[in-house]
Amino acid sequence: MNEFEIIARLKPIVANYVADKALPDQITEETDFIKDLKINSANLVDIVLDVEEEFDIEIDNGSMEKMLTVGAAIAIIQEKSAQK
Amino acid sequence: MIGNDIVDLRQAALDSNWKRKGFLEKLFTVEEQFLIASYTENPELMVWLLWTMKESAYKINSSITKLRAFAPVKLVCNNLIILEHSATGNVYTEGTSYCTATEFNSDYIHTTAAEQLHELQLARIEISALYDGYHQKSPQSVSHHGRYLALAYS
Repeated sequence: MNEFEIIARLKPIVANYVADKALPDQITEETDFIKDLKINSANLVDIVLDVEEEFDIEIDNGSMEKMLTVGAAIAIIQEKSAQK
Repeated sequence: MIGNDIVDLRQAALDSNWKRKGFLEKLFTVEEQFLIASYTENPELMVWLLWTMKESAYKINSSITKLRAFAPVKLVCNNLIILEHSATGNVYTEGTSYCTATEFNSDYIHTTAAEQLHELQLARIEISALYDGYHQKSPQSVSHHGRYLALAYS
């Protein structure tokens, strides 16, 4: 899976947790979930759970720790998908 | 240094489903999950009480270490004592301990964390609706959620 495919599948997930619905369309690898998208930190765990379901992977705590940006999420999704 | 965190309980009920599979496991230690399950009169209150403890301690810790991480299970709540509308406790993370003081009612839960107990006793908290220009008052820690703005001064 390349990053563009992953971003396309991440957008609808992220859209569930942002107040400004225009923001997810502009996400890039640099986008920070909390700083840029203003996602509530308690909802970051929902994104992690949604990503697990969408990509059929398991995100351990060590990986979750780093999942603060879209780029980090992409790297984790690629890594965990490759391990399947 | 102090840190604070507020949860608007009405907003939290709209935004988060804490009963969702995997939700508690990713945020809380086994001991904390036990506290939530055993607080049968209001498990939701316990969820957000523990969460504000972790968030307020994280704010101090990340500003000292300059490191950001989403590792809620590494912030361990302990020594929790709950009274009718308040609670005290500790949050341990990687060898450091923070003390916390919480106030709660049916609308919100607010926790202040500090490195030292005397800082917690001296801390002044202002909880209000969100307004512009609060930065000019130079609070040491700011938390905004739902209907509420909480400013903490040392």
